[in-house]
Parts: sequence; C-alpha cells; structure tokens
Amino acid sequence: MRHAFEIDATPHEVWLGRESGEYILHLDNERLPVSLSLDDQGHGSLRIDGETVPITLARRGDDCFIHLDGSTWQLRYRDPLERASALAHGSHDDDIRAPMPGTTISVRVAPGDAVLKGATLLVMESMKLETAIIAPRDAVVVSVRVAVGQAFERDALLVEFDERPAAQPTATPT
Amino acid sequence: MKRIESRIDVHGAEFLANQAHNQALAADLRARQHRARHERPERDMDRLARQNKLFVRERIERLLDPGTPFLELSTLAANMAWDGEVPGAAIVSGIGIVSGREVILHADDASVKGGAWYPHSVKKIVRTLDIAIENRLPVIHLCDSAGGFLPAQSQLFADRYFAGRIFRNQSTLSKMGVPQVAIVLGHCTAGGAYVPALSDYSVITRGTGAIFLGGPPLVKAATGEEVSVEELGGADMHTRVSGVADYPAGSEIEAIAIARDIVAQWHRPAKTQIDRQEPEAPLYDPRELYGIIPRDIKVQFDMREVIARMVDGSRFHEYQPAYGTTLVCGFAHLWGFRIGILANNGVLFNDSTLKGAHFIELCNQNRTPILFLQNITGFMVGREYERNGITKDGAKMIMAVSNSEVPKFTVIINGSYGAGNYGMSGRAFDPRFLFMWPQSQISVMGAEQAANVLSEVKIRQLQRSGQSLSAEQIAAIRDPVLADYNRESSAYYSTSELWDDGILDPPDTRNALGIALSASLGAPIAEPRYGVFRL
Amino acid sequence: MTPWPFDTVLIANRGEIALRILRSVQAQGLRAVVVHHALDRLSPAVAQADQAIELRGNSPVAAYLDGDAILDAALASGAGAIHPGYGFLSENAAFARKVQAAGIRFIGPTPEAINLMGDKVRARAFVAQAGFPVAPSAIEDDDPSSFSERALQVGFPLLIKPAAGGGGKGMRIVRQSEQLAGEIERARSEAQRYFGDARLYVERYIENPRHIEVQVLGDDTGQVVHLFERECSVQRRFQKIVEESPSPALDAATRDRICSVAAGIARRAGYRNAGTVEFIFGQGEFYFLEMNTRLQVEHPVTEQITGIDLVREQLRIAAGEPLGYTQDDVRVSGHAIEYRIYAEDPARGYTPTTGPVLSLRVPGGEGIRVDLGIVQGQDISAAFDPMLAKLIVSGRDRQQALERADAALAQFVLLGCRTNIDFLRRLSRHPVFVAGDIHTGFLDAHPEVAADVSPSPATLRRLLGAAALQTRPLRDAAEAIPALHAAIGGWRN
Repeated sequence: MRHAFEIDATPHEVWLGRESGEYILHLDNERLPVSLSLDDQGHGSLRIDGETVPITLARRGDDCFIHLDGSTWQLRYRDPLERASALAHGSHDDDIRAPMPGTTISVRVAPGDAVLKGATLLVMESMKLETAIIAPRDAVVVSVRVAVGQAFERDALLVEFDERPAAQPTATPT
Repeated sequence: MKRIESRIDVHGAEFLANQAHNQALAADLRARQHRARHERPERDMDRLARQNKLFVRERIERLLDPGTPFLELSTLAANMAWDGEVPGAAIVSGIGIVSGREVILHADDASVKGGAWYPHSVKKIVRTLDIAIENRLPVIHLCDSAGGFLPAQSQLFADRYFAGRIFRNQSTLSKMGVPQVAIVLGHCTAGGAYVPALSDYSVITRGTGAIFLGGPPLVKAATGEEVSVEELGGADMHTRVSGVADYPAGSEIEAIAIARDIVAQWHRPAKTQIDRQEPEAPLYDPRELYGIIPRDIKVQFDMREVIARMVDGSRFHEYQPAYGTTLVCGFAHLWGFRIGILANNGVLFNDSTLKGAHFIELCNQNRTPILFLQNITGFMVGREYERNGITKDGAKMIMAVSNSEVPKFTVIINGSYGAGNYGMSGRAFDPRFLFMWPQSQISVMGAEQAANVLSEVKIRQLQRSGQSLSAEQIAAIRDPVLADYNRESSAYYSTSELWDDGILDPPDTRNALGIALSASLGAPIAEPRYGVFRL
Repeated sequence: MTPWPFDTVLIANRGEIALRILRSVQAQGLRAVVVHHALDRLSPAVAQADQAIELRGNSPVAAYLDGDAILDAALASGAGAIHPGYGFLSENAAFARKVQAAGIRFIGPTPEAINLMGDKVRARAFVAQAGFPVAPSAIEDDDPSSFSERALQVGFPLLIKPAAGGGGKGMRIVRQSEQLAGEIERARSEAQRYFGDARLYVERYIENPRHIEVQVLGDDTGQVVHLFERECSVQRRFQKIVEESPSPALDAATRDRICSVAAGIARRAGYRNAGTVEFIFGQGEFYFLEMNTRLQVEHPVTEQITGIDLVREQLRIAAGEPLGYTQDDVRVSGHAIEYRIYAEDPARGYTPTTGPVLSLRVPGGEGIRVDLGIVQGQDISAAFDPMLAKLIVSGRDRQQALERADAALAQFVLLGCRTNIDFLRRLSRHPVFVAGDIHTGFLDAHPEVAADVSPSPATLRRLLGAAALQTRPLRDAAEAIPALHAAIGGWRN
C-alpha cells in the first residue's frame, strides 16, 4: 500500500525504498535514486535519476511547499490508512451513538444542517453529568433520532450523518 | 577464501543439451505455477466481484511493502490431488516484508471452492505456523474461508497434526511472544473462527467479514433462531459488543491498511547474530545451472559447479578436500551470511559419512547455519563397507543432523533416495526450509531399482514353484511399479503432498535461501548437545 | 535653497508602500516614523523606521483608518508631515483638513481637490464642463423624469452605474435598447442594497476597453506636468494586476493628446502634488473615467521610465519647493512592467489565501525591482489587502522587459502561502499579452491563464522525490526494510 501526495486535490502514489545507502523513489513503473541537499533556509538541489536541479522547499505539518522548475507547488501528504478510511463507503462510523445511557437536554441541529467538526449536536444528561455530543467531522445531518426529554440506552443512535463533507456550514462550533 | 574454478565448457554440446532440457523444465514450472496462481473459472472470479471481494493475490500485494521480495511457499500444493481442482490447496502462503518487518502470511483463496479447507489446505496452514514457531516469525492471517471440506473430514479433523494443530500452534506462538494479526475478509466459521480469536490482533471488514462458531443455517437448524450474518457475527457486533475482533474496517483496503499499521507497532526483537559481510553476486552466472544439471538423473556431475553459481563471489573454503571426496563440505557466504555447505558428489562411503558428521559439529561450534545440497542415491552397500561399520557411520551422521542447533536448509538438487535423504537433512530432520528443483526425484529407492527388486521377488517366487515369466509378464509387473514410482517420486508429487516448501527455478535458489536465512535468525541458536555417537 | 519645514515624516500606511515611502524619506535625510497595527510589527517598514508607533483598533484595518490616533502619533513624534500612502485615509478630505489644522503638512493634494474628484459624478461634471472628453452619459440627478429617454440616447452598448458607487460594484452592461428598462430597475435595487442610494447614471460603454491613466504632478506655483501614461488593462474583478508604461496601444499623437488632456484637467482643478487621471480608451476614442488624488500602487513603472522618484517629488512639493522642471524636461526611455503579487488563488476565482511565509527569495539583477511588504516568517492573514509585493521589470524595450519578467517570475520564491506568481508568468507569456492586444476583458476571455496547471511528468517525478525525502513516514518506512530485502527488491519466485 503506497503513500500519496495530493497536488491540487489529485493524489499521486509514491513509495520510498532504500538500497546500498541510497534512497530509491518508487513510482508506477520507475525506480529512481533520489537525494536532496538543502541549507537551513530550504534552498538547495535535488538529485534524481542522474540529474541535479535547484530547489527550494519548506514544510509545515503535512504540507510540503516546493519551488522547482520555475513554478511553485504544494504537496499534501496523505497517510495510507487515512486515505483508505476516506475511501471506504457506507460506513456506520458516521452514526452518532450514545456513549452511555441518558436523557436529551437540548438538540442543536436539525435534518439538513451542515455542521463543522467540533460542533455541538446535542447535549445529554446522565448520572447528573451534562455531556455535549460533538460532530467528529464536517458533515450534513441526515436525521436526529431523539427529542428533548427523551431517554435512551448506551449505543442508541442519536444523529445520522451523510457521507459527503459539508460545503457551507450553517451551524457554528461552540 | 578462494574462488571455485569452474571446469564446465559452457559452449559444449553436453552443456547446451542440458540447458535446453532444463530451461524447458523451468518454463513448465513457471507455466504450472502461473495456472495455479491465476487461472480460475470465470464464474468464480465473477462471484468474488459480486461479493465485493478482492482476489487473494491483490490483497497480498497491497499488504506487502512495495519493492520488497515475497518468497511464496508450496505454490503447487495439491496439484496432483483432488483432480487438480484445488490449486495451491486454496491457500497462498509465504514470507514477505510488511511495514519493514519480516512476516509469514497465509491467505485463504476464496476463488477456489470458496476457500474451503481441504486436507492439503490444513497441512499447508499447519506448516506455515510451524515455520513461524521454529523461526519466531510474526504471522498475518488473511481469513476468507467457507470452512472445512466436509467430505474429506476424516483427513483433516481428528489427528494430531490436522486442523486442531492450527489453533494449538497459534496458542504456542502467542506464548512465545510472537505476534499475530488476523484480517477477516470473509467468513470465519466453526473452527475457522478461532483463527481471529487466537490472534493477538484482528481486523474485520464490514459487510463481508464474519466470525461465528455456527452460521445462520446451522443456528436455524440447531435452535430455530433466525438471524442474519451481520447480526450473528458481523464487524460491528464483534468490534463493539463481543470484543472478539479489534478493528472494524469499511473496506478490504482499509482493513489491510489497518493491519499494516498494526504490524508497524510491533516490537522488533534483535535478530540472532551470526557472521555476516557485504553481499557479493556469484562470479558465475546462476543461469548456467541449467547447463550443469544432467538430463539423465543417473549421470554424475560435480556439485562444486552448482555451489559456484550460488554463493557470494563463487568463493568457497573446502573442508577436508582430500578425504571423503564423495561429500563436499566447506564454508561460503550467501547474501553475506556465512554458511556451511554439505553437498553430494556421489554415494556416501564411511569416510564421507564421518566427514559429514564431523563438519556438522564444526558448523554448530562455529554458529554457522548449514545448507544441504542433495544428490544422493544412498549409502554404500556391500560386505567391506558393512564390516567397516557403514551403518553406524550413517547413524552418527543422522545423530549429528538431528541434534544440530544451527538452522538447516535443504535443497534437493537432483536425486534424494533412501537413507541418504536422512543423513542429508530430509524433511523429518527439521530443516527450517526444504526446496526441490524441477527435475529432482525423491523416493525410498530409484524407480528402476524398485521395479527390478519387485519383479525379482516375483520371478524367484514363481521359479520356486517351477514357473518362469515371459518378457511381457515381467513387463506387466515392472511397468506399473515404474509408472507409480515415477509419478510419486517427482518433485511435483512431493510438492503436491507438501513434503517440501516449494519447487524453485534453480537460479532463484540464491534469493530464496537468502530470505530463508534472514527469516531463520528470528530464533535463538542454542548450544549444541548431541546424543550418543556409536563410535 | 530654503530648509524644509519638516524634518520628520509620519507614514500612515503598511506593507510595501510604507517601506517604499520610508526609503525615499530616509534618502532625503529625513526621519521616518511608521504607525502600525500589532499584526504588522514584524514588517520591514517597522524594522527600518526611525520610530514605530503601535495603533490599536477594533480591527487591524480600523487601526489604519483611525485619523485621530494617527494625528496624535504625528504630534507626539514631532512629525511635520504625514504621508498617507494609498487606500486608507489617502483620499479622505476630512482627515487632510484635520492634519492641516494641526499645523502638519499633508503629503498629497488639497482637501478641496480630494473632495472634487472623490465624488465621481461631480468630478465628471467638472471635467465635461471644462471641455475635456467624457463618455456620453445620462445622469439621473440632472432630471429624473427624462432619465430613461436620455439614457437611450447615450447609445449602445452602455453601462449603468450607481452614482454613489465605487469599486466596480452594481454596474450593469446593456447592449440592446429593449433590455434597458429592466436593467435600470435591477440596477436601482442593487444600488439601494449596496450603497443605500438608488441614484444612477449611465455611460457609453466601450467594448474591450483599455484602461489608460496618466501620472501628473503639480506644485504650489500652479505648475503641472504629466509624466506620461500607464496602461492598466489587465484586471480581475476591476482590480489591476499588471501595469506597464508606455502603453503598447498608443501612437505618439494619441499619447500626446491623452497626456495633455490629463495635465489640462489637473491644471484646471488647481491640482497640487501627485495624482493620476484615468481614461477608458478604445476604437481610437478616449474618455475621462476618474481622477485619483493620491500616489498609486503602480507608480513605479513611471519612475522606471522617467528616472524620477515620485515620492521624493511628493515630499519636495509638500515642503513648498517648485518642481524646477518643465514638461519638455520630462523624458522617457525604455519600457517597464509591474506585476502585482497577490496572496490569492487564480484558479479558484482569485479567492484570497492565507498562510505563513516559510521561505522568501526575490529575484534581482539588471532591470529588476521588487517592492516588498513582507518578510520571511510573517503570517499572511485575511485581515489586510492580499497584495504582498510588486515586481517591476524594465528593459530597453517591451520585449526585453518581457524576457526579464519571465526569468524573474520563474525565480521568485514565496512558499507557505499560495500566490499568483505562476499565474503572472503564464499571463506574461500569453501570446495576446505579448502582442500587447490587451483590454480589461482579457482574463475573462482567456480562462486558461488562471486555470491550474498540472506538473509535467519530469516535474512530477522531482516533486514527489523531494516531498518523499522530506516526509518522515516515507523515510521511516524505507529505513524499516531490512538491507537484504531492500537489496533483493521486488522479486517473486
């Protein structure tokens, strides 16, 4: 399973190997020795497949910003496990279930609402504790299965999400 | 260490004739392996697609680190059984690299009879786990099986090394601290349910993976309860409620990605250290092996020529070069590892047998793994040799082989007959890995010899009652014996019955042994201790 | 020469223009005081100022609009003059008056001139009355009841504009008389919505118009010269991206006419200090559009071809010095082009982008000037205008300027925040731009210039190789593989 870098949302698969002390870049049908030499400002040169080219590179988190061949590029690293999860469809991970039995105190969203990751969906009460149920990702609410005052068991389905990420959020994170 | 000087004329007629013959055998091997690996009835592949399942080899390719080798074992298991309808015994197994770790894996092939476990399948899985135990190799199970093949239950259920041994081996691995992860990509029913349950980690695919001791039909028959596959043993139930499985996955690809991530977390214990230097390719081209092995198995050749095309730099330090010359012994390096080699250059006499036993002891003293290259018809027979104690000399060699602590590897280069197989570390003597070459043969004695012996017995029997046999009658006795022996002594029969870990194309032997050697160093090498040598 | 009435200038602006002004102030031997919001404390202007005073505000922009605080800062720092830069308070007549009332020189025109030209309708009327060309138009205010009829007479195509508008908002092009009534209705409701004022005027619209503007300078003696024209036709959302001088569209006679008209307008308005008269040009005609009573962003191209430091002239004029030269003394040579570098994403509707400036390296060499407002390590936020820098390229002729521009844009390194640098390079190489056949609709007509470009296979290989080597998980995975297996590679038996 290969790693991938996204350039303008297009993923490109890549693997890095090592042989005789050199790094080898594995692309679809190619295996290319590759090495990089940068100063502390990120300026330097890239040696790949026998050619040396000037390059400037800066990193932040999973983003690699590169100036190369007269243009500027941004490559975002995608971890293979994260990509694989994102590709899986019809996942019940989207369902928001009760972590423990309790009662609904307030419902903050309605079907059709687009929510941002971290938004409070509803507040529940259990054993004299109030717990906010939060959206684990940007999503659109498909249905809310509980009403204010309603009691439920652990693992009960509270809110259903759709699969696609939200475009225009209407609920703001609290 | 000096180089072996090759004396073969690579342009000579003999060489070229051998080469053509052996290249054809190698091509035949590749064709058979390709069929066993990839050719499936269309309806079976369609069924997989409908079930949203990947073909077993696609799963394995995604599991393994790109650009790394995979040593597949027993590709042609069951090739001469069950009318050839169970290629590979419906299992793919082998040693590969996952997240940088050496692991051994076995995967149910759901495109063959739904992945049902035939007796050969069970044997292949047990062998995989035995290898894991002996070499302390972490295990990855890819589970997708319809369950045991019930019509053959008498050959796979009750005995000591039948299906139960799989679960016993899993438990032993766990006790040894060798981790296992099971990826449930299909059904794990009845006994099969214990594979994930006994694995330290398990991943289960939603929608296609399921674990239950009895499936819905059996449950309905047993108690009248009606329940769906998902409810009874699906991913969400097991990962949220029962705790039988650890990680739910939305797809096969995600399941495999999770498994890779799990393997990446495993502790990497230090490997047993043996002497190693920078690897060097052999001076002589390994493909010349095709021209060295004679077309006729009865023709003798110098094993040093084979060694020269296998070891680093073709360099070899020969031990006792003047004594016991029918057994070549010495040190070499293979992929940088120092190894000791015992190789047959003829029948085993008293001196060569003693030399062999002695050299095995030297290798153990030196903590050097041993490679046995077999081309042996047996020990020498006859009065002089018996009086000189050939039997006890053979016993000494067997005592040394049996109690040797360093890893042993055996490649049956040509013939492997009789007790010679034993002295040269045949299957019963626990070499970590045993491979065959395509033209090799293995039986208690040669086919001709057996046919002669059996017809001799019959002839004498009839002579005692005053009868004699015509040429046709003799042929009628000889020919079936010859045919049976030829069939059941071929490398393909051996590999079908899993008497070996696979047939290698001779030039591939170097890589296979390198990987095997590296894998074997997962286990410690104990101090040698032998029984009583009948001196 | 009498000594100047001020020895300290307060610069009430930020970014590249603050630094640019500061350079000329200090070169003149004056002290430079810079006011700034906390977000700009790392900026180069603040670093190089003789004194920096922090302003507070409800928002960063509000700080630079706080005229009272700025005035206080000037008084506290002993500044005898305030340079407002462009934008912010530069065309705020009330602020200019307050500054003067406090005894401080306002480096710019008189409040009256600001007022006159600030109201677009009033400015237009003034210019028309003075006999200079304006686009045929109909102003509603003149006689609301006959507005629709007069609008029809302007001729088509025409442009409906809100009287109280600006920034290109609320304008509608009408090409056919049947559509006029409906479009007027819609324009009215939009004007009400955007500006709270439903009054309109209608102007003749030139298809594929070119935006030509003329730089003017006036001193206290009433002398006015023009410093020739700039072409600013490459625009997006009515904002300029590339400007050049001289304009490839004008022949000598037309150039002379336009520039004389501009100087005439400035003279007529009694204009002092620096200003720019903007025209719409096309099919041989040109019409007055508006006058900007401030130093403009694109002033460097004029500086490059005339050799005159405009900020220095502004300081001199504010100090009371006469220009000291006539129109005939103003010579131009060569060609200059300015490329505005924005933090934006051209492929996605030019939406502003943000991010840290992780790496910055500007091109240099013959004919290359970079007016920079940022430093490495700075965070580009959405708080301010997205313009980061200006690349001004000059050469002996347009072709040499274009060649130098291509090399400079290819060498310009700014990593961490997406910019329009690659887009500018594609634009600069576009055959239509190279031929000089530009007009304000150029980018709309050629959407491929703004579109994302995929890397070539060779570039892609390099990018992936570099990124792979710099990403820990890939390196870790490579190093995890045992040496033996790495050496054997992807072998199968």
